[in-house]
Formats: sequence, structure tokens, C-alpha cells
Amino acid sequence: MSAVEAPFEPARRPLSGRRVRVGDRALELVTASAATAALVLVALIAWKLVAGALPSLDRFGIGFIWRVAWDPTVSKLYGAGSFLFGTAVTSLAALALAAPLALGIALYLTELAPPFLRGPVTALVETLAAVPSVVIGLWGILVLGPALRDHVEPVLHRTLGFLPLFGAPNAASSSFFTAIVVLAIMILPIVSSVSRELFLSVPRELKEGALALGTTRWEMIRGVVFPYARGGIAAALILGLGRAVGEAIAVTQVIGGGVAVHANLFATGDTLASKIAASYQGATSDLEIGSLVYLALILMAFSLLVNLSAQLIVRRISRRGPA
Amino acid sequence: MRKMGIVALAALAVAALAGTAAALASKQDSTTISGAGSTFVAPLVAQWTQPLSQAYGFELQYSGIGSGGGIAAITSRTVDFGASDAPLSPDQFAACKDCAQIPWALSATSVIYNLDGVKSLLHMNGSVLARIFMGSITKWSDPAIRKLNPGVVLPDEAISIVHRSDNSGTTYNFTDYLASVSTQWKSKYGTGVAVDWPTGSGGRGSSGVAALVAQTPGAIGYVDVAYTLQNHLKYFTMRNRSGRYTTPGLKGILAAASSDQKPAKDNSLSIVDPPKKYAAAYPISTFTYVIVPLETSKAAELRKFLFWAVTKGQAYGPRLLFQPIPKPVLVVAEQTIKRIHPSA
Amino acid sequence: MSAHGITRAAQRADRLPRRRAVNRLMEALAALSALLAIALLSLLVYSVARRGAAQLDLDLLTKGPAGAFSFTPTASGFANAFAGSLVLVVLATAMALPVGILTALYLTEFARPATRGVVSLGLDVLNGVPAIVVGIFVFGLLVVGRGQSGFAGAFALACLMLPLVARATMEVLALVPASLREASLALGVPPWRTTLGIVLPQAVGGIVTGTTLAVARVAGETAPLLFTSSLVGSGVSWNPQHALQSVPVAIFEASEQADPTLHAQAWAAATVLLAFILVTSLAARALAARSRRRIATSR
Repeated sequence: MSAVEAPFEPARRPLSGRRVRVGDRALELVTASAATAALVLVALIAWKLVAGALPSLDRFGIGFIWRVAWDPTVSKLYGAGSFLFGTAVTSLAALALAAPLALGIALYLTELAPPFLRGPVTALVETLAAVPSVVIGLWGILVLGPALRDHVEPVLHRTLGFLPLFGAPNAASSSFFTAIVVLAIMILPIVSSVSRELFLSVPRELKEGALALGTTRWEMIRGVVFPYARGGIAAALILGLGRAVGEAIAVTQVIGGGVAVHANLFATGDTLASKIAASYQGATSDLEIGSLVYLALILMAFSLLVNLSAQLIVRRISRRGPA
Repeated sequence: MRKMGIVALAALAVAALAGTAAALASKQDSTTISGAGSTFVAPLVAQWTQPLSQAYGFELQYSGIGSGGGIAAITSRTVDFGASDAPLSPDQFAACKDCAQIPWALSATSVIYNLDGVKSLLHMNGSVLARIFMGSITKWSDPAIRKLNPGVVLPDEAISIVHRSDNSGTTYNFTDYLASVSTQWKSKYGTGVAVDWPTGSGGRGSSGVAALVAQTPGAIGYVDVAYTLQNHLKYFTMRNRSGRYTTPGLKGILAAASSDQKPAKDNSLSIVDPPKKYAAAYPISTFTYVIVPLETSKAAELRKFLFWAVTKGQAYGPRLLFQPIPKPVLVVAEQTIKRIHPSA
Repeated sequence: MSAHGITRAAQRADRLPRRRAVNRLMEALAALSALLAIALLSLLVYSVARRGAAQLDLDLLTKGPAGAFSFTPTASGFANAFAGSLVLVVLATAMALPVGILTALYLTEFARPATRGVVSLGLDVLNGVPAIVVGIFVFGLLVVGRGQSGFAGAFALACLMLPLVARATMEVLALVPASLREASLALGVPPWRTTLGIVLPQAVGGIVTGTTLAVARVAGETAPLLFTSSLVGSGVSWNPQHALQSVPVAIFEASEQADPTLHAQAWAAATVLLAFILVTSLAARALAARSRRRIATSR
């Protein structure tokens, strides 16, 4: 069954009168103009972002991207450095936390689960994807944050405190750590569902062949499924990363809004998206607004890169179809 | 199934059109006055909604999004008036294009803390407070704090700083105070609606700060005194220039206000850390301003609203620890309100 | 591990017990992950529902929020948020649905491969724009100088819905068998009528599913509405010319307040929102599975 059919060639059909031709042209025109909507929107977004960031682009140039500063009062210097750091740390750590779990779930659902369980569990995991970020953020502020602060952070500090990552715990429940756990929960379903479709697309003959040769299930997975799905798993991870990078609301609720760069995961910080959510409405000077839009520009470029490459790979894989 | 789908889509289209038509047909509310800005003054403005509607039939809509948000909103004319505790800078006046700022309320910023096991209110002074917020004092048991509170057993708990994450007039007031008591703070962090905080967590809005302090053991933050009352939070008694420890109550605010009764050309007043002779003054008090365009289509309504606010509206203040604005300031305020005129 | 390696490993019968043990361990780990995920989801939903159930009563939907500040918080509700969300989502769907369907029609019926690539790329790019950036964009486009409005908020939501609706419609249009089109054309029905009268109706099921999923997605979006439709009063308003409150924004604002009664109401609103989204997502997926099965068996 083909993916997208070839367009019709109306000219090949014998047309029985002008009215028919007009109808065809009209439909084509209407749909074509609707189709330009997406392109127009994208162009407008790009233009608005660049135009809005101009005050800051003019003043700081490219150096903005790595400068660690955000001082509206004394030095009036702005920079994206600490927010890039925050975005990188939270997204990568969330991915590191979520990826093994997500792959495990995908493996379980495709290879190990009894057939009657597959449907309901798949539905459950995909439902997690539907939970709005503000609800996860609410839960993060009022339930998860205090729980992590009271039970998990002290334990981690005591056992792994020699690592600068697990420095002094924060008495406030907002920190990088809470944000990482929240993001991990949010990207788990995406990575898992894409991986699941990936594992389903591995040709059955390859899998059965390996099993016939006497390998255990795990050896078959390691030797056949993973190598086959390698590219797709990368795409799934990148998609998850993209989701984490773009998340503004849940992160701004639990991350605490700090600007300094430090290694301690229990300290407060900020990411590109959450800084924009927290500060855009109250920014008054042209330079501050411009700097926030510059942050949005960087965020947009980053997420575009990530999402496009992932979507490209995912599309190529799903076109292969299930085994 | 297909029929169901088509019916569903058709119903949706009809609903959308009907709803939009009904909404558009409904009478355009010309007596809604919308405002946004300072969370500092939000408690008082909330009290005005009902009496104002009874007196003039206005519907007052106010969103507490922080003073920065208020200035931004009125500059882009997203609202009819903005509210800010931080006076506008010359740049902001220029951007706002012919706006006036009018002092319309008077209260104080309390320095709140969350410390179990200590019953009475603790003493605090400016330089120790500045050192705490700069991160040089990190524990409650620090000798500097113990010196201010002899006889009180202070636990060896870490201090967690809570500040505002949004652009805030309360931050302006607080940092104004810190800058006047600590030259180090003044040169490194300055006075502004947002500063480069060396440490701490950010809360959104005054209620965000109050919430964070209430939830964080060992926390210190700063918030409009009305929120302190509402959330039953503990606050420091601050040492003023004359050596007395004062509370952010009406008496302290009144004494502080008498230190500056003459609004500057842009109508701003500074009553932070008043001189020694104002012995009862609470040193972190502030006026708060409403920012209006002088030329506006809602001139008549705004004039009625603001005249009412600076006169009858002040009576709703004391319960929330807003001191009615002093007479000399009232005179200037009314003069400015008179300048609001309708657009041609 | 190459094929050769697998074969050799498989033939080492003496290492069989160890290999079996490793296999069991891995299977256990995989099962554990699944268990963890289920536990996590259940914990989240249970956590929200338990706290929300306490405050879940009709007041939530019928009473507006109490004034912005009071010393004695009175029990109130989120009526303005529910009303606003309804208007915003309906308007957003009204904006995105026609454009999405027409775009998909263009891509499947008329576009040359080159154009199809470009428009498809445009849709993918739009899909990848973070919601907060869409919020800033619509703020700059529609709010500056004009004021916030339900229309601006709905437009922002529509920008998020468009790629989802377009893609879902494309997928289902592609499933319509070529034989149907060819039969209709052979009977002399003009191409445009074939498209609108024969092909499109076949796709309605998929379009409804795709739209439902898109609605479930934007019903919970906060970021696009933060700057476009958030300065609101506490009264219930159905007028999209002014800013309208929405459930996600109301929850967001309540989550950072100090008042515990407000927290309780936020939980209740979150429960209702969650229930709505979960029910619509599951229903959409069930419908999709059913129609896919029907198309597969009808071939």
C-alpha cells in the first residue's frame, strides 16, 4: 500500500466542458493558497524573531550566545550562556534518565509481553504523553519537588556527594534535579513509542533466523534488533531531546530561576524556554526584550535542528512499514 | 461512522460561527477598565472592584503580573492603566509616549523568614541583611545574626534566599534599601526591578515568594506586608537609622512617608531608609504608582476611577497595611489626574 | 554482534546456563521498566485525582474565582477558565481545521513532488516550533498595540494544531484506495468533484480522529496563551475580542500562589483537564484503530 499517491493528471482525461476545468482550477487554487499558510507562518515567525532580537543582536552580536550574564541593572549585559548550559544539562540528563527506561518498555512491549497485555500497556504509556505540561508542573511543585528534596537529595548527597554534581541539597524544592525528573517523565512516552514502532519494523525473518540458530531472546535483541534499529533509536532519542529542549512551562515551575552556572544539580538554574516564559511579560527595556527574543531565536534554531533531523529519520523508518 | 464524522464537523462549524457571532454581538463593554502590573498593590486594588462598580458601574479588571509587566503592558497599550512600585526611568517614560505616573498607595516591604523553633520576631539590620543576600552569611547561627538577637537560640540551619523571578517593583524597593545601607551591594548589584542575584530561588509574583518561603525551611525573602499577614509569615523587625527596631505597620509607614512629601518632577518619591530624625520609620517603605497615558479614549472613566482611588479608595487600605497617602502627595496626584484628557 | 558471532555464541552449549541467566536478567529489566512506567503514570494520575477529588464539585465549573486577594479565602471556582478554554479551543479548531484539510488535499491531489517537499518541510518546521516561541510570535503579530484577545490566543493554538491536522488528513487521504478514484473518474465525474465528493468523505473518520488528538493536545497548552490571552478579570466571558482565561493558564497561575485553597482548586481543575484529555485521546485512538481495521478488511 503506497504512502502518498501520485497526483492526478487531469489533462489526460477527456474533459467535457469548461465548467469542469474551472472547478478543477478553483479547487487547486483554494487548496494551494491554504497550503502556503504553513510556509507563510514559518517565514513570519523567522522574520519576527530576527526583527525582535535586533536590539540585542546589534549590541552583543554572536558573543551573546556564550556570555554568562543577565544583569538588567548594573552592567546591563545580557547573554545566553547560563541558559544554554541549563538547557543542555536538563535535557541531556533527562534523556539519560529516560532513554534506558523507554527502550526497556519498548522492548518489553514488542518482544516479551504476553499479547493480551500489549494493547493496554501501550495505551497507558501513550496516555502519559497526553498529560499537559502544566499538570506535571503542578505535581512537580507540590508533590515531586518536596519529595525529592526530603527523601532523594539527602541520600544522593550522602552517597555520591564527592561528585560536584551532587553537592549541597537545596532547601527549596526547585532545582535542576527536579526539572530533570519532570522532563524525563515528559519525554519517556515519545522515546518509548517511537522505539516501539521501530522494533516492530524489524523483519521477522531476521529475528526468527537468529532464534532458530539457538540464541537466547536477549542475544537476538542485542544482535539483530538493536543493530537494525540503530538509526531509528538515535532518531527517537533526538525527538525526546527536542521535546525536552522546548518545554517551558513545567520547567519554569520547578527550576527556580537562577542565572549562575554551577555543577551542582541541586542548585537552581534556568533554561532558554523557561527564562522566556518567566521574564518576557515583564521586560521593559528594548535591550532586555531584544535579548529575550534572541534567546527565542537560539531556542528556535536549536529545536528546529533537533526536530527536523529526528522527523526525517522517523519518516524514513515508518515508510518501511511494520514487519 | 462517516455520517457521524460529517455531522460532528458540521456541528463544530456551526457552533464556532454561532459562538463568534453571539460573542461579537454582545455589547462591547466600554465600562471595563483593565489594568496590570504590581503585585504589591494588587491586594488594595482587589478591594476596590466592588465599591467602584457600585459607585460608577465600572468593571475593574486587574492582573498582578509584576511592575515590569505593568510598565510593558501600558507601554504597548495592552491595558488601560499600569501599576508599578518602581518609578519609571527616563527611557521608560520616552517609550511610554506621554504617560504620567501618579502615586496612589503607600505601604511597606516586609522581610519574611521561615524558621521553626523561634517564637518571637527576630531583629535584623540593613548591613547584615545585605551580607545575607550577597551570600557571605549562609547560616542562621552566624555570629552577626546572633549579635542582633541576644538570648535567642538560633539553629545551625542553612539560609535559603528567595527573591522575585519576574521584574518586580518590590525588588526595586528592596534593592533600593540594600543599596542605601551597603555600598558593596550598590556597586555590585544596584537598584532595579531585577538584579543579578548571586544566590537563591525565584518566585513568581509576591504570592510566589510568599509560597516559596512558606514551603522552604530556613528561607528568607521579601514581600509586600499584606501577603505576610495573609499567609501568617514571620518577618524581621528592621533597625532604622535612629537605632530602633520597627515593624512594617501603619505607624512605621507613616513615619517613613513624612521623610519625603514633595514628589519630584516625574512624581516619584523616595522614602527608603529615612534619616535619623524619623525615629518611628520603617526603613523599607515605598509609594506605588499608577501609570496612565495622558491622552486616552477612556479618559473620563480613568479620571473618575483615579480620583476615587486616591480619595475614597484609600479607606480600604489600613486593614491591609496600606497607609492613606499624605495630603501633599494627594494634591500632586489630583493635579496630574486632571491632565488626563480624551484623545481628539 | 555479527551474525557469525551470534551463531558461534549460540553453539557454545557449555555457556548455555550463563547465557540463559543473562537473558532472564534482561527480560526482567525490560519488564521492570514497563512496570515502572505504568507505576509512574498511575502515580501521577492517582496523585492528581486524589487531591482534585476533594474539591471536585459543581462550584468549580459554575463559580468564578474569588477576588485577587482576600484574608479569608472563600471557596470558589474556575468558571471563567472553563468557559474561556471552550471558546479558545473551538475557535482554534475553526481556524486550523479548514486550512489543515485544504493543505492536505493540495499535497495529495495537486502538488508536484518538489512543491510537496517544500510544503511538507514547512509543516514539519511549524510542528517543531516550541509553544513558547509561538506565543512570542503571536504576541508580536496580534497583541502589540491592539491588546490581548481570545482571537490572538486561539490563533496561537491554531498554529500548533495546523501541522497535526494536516498530517493526520494526509495519512488518511493516502489510505483511500486508488480504485475508488479511478472508478469515479471513469464514470465521468470531474476530478474536483471526485476529490470533494468521493475521496474526502472517505477520509472524514481519520480527519475527526486527527482533529480530536490535536484538540486534546492544545486543550492543555499554556505557553501560547501566556502572552496572548492572560490578562483577564474574574467574571465569565464568552467574548473572544477580550482576553479569555483558560484552564491551563489558571492552573499555572494558581500553582505558584501561596494559598492552599487555590492549590486545591488547581488540583480539581487539573483533574478535569486530565480527564478530558485522556478520554479524548483514548477515544480518538480507539476510533482510529477501528477505522484502520475496517479499511484493511475492506480491501
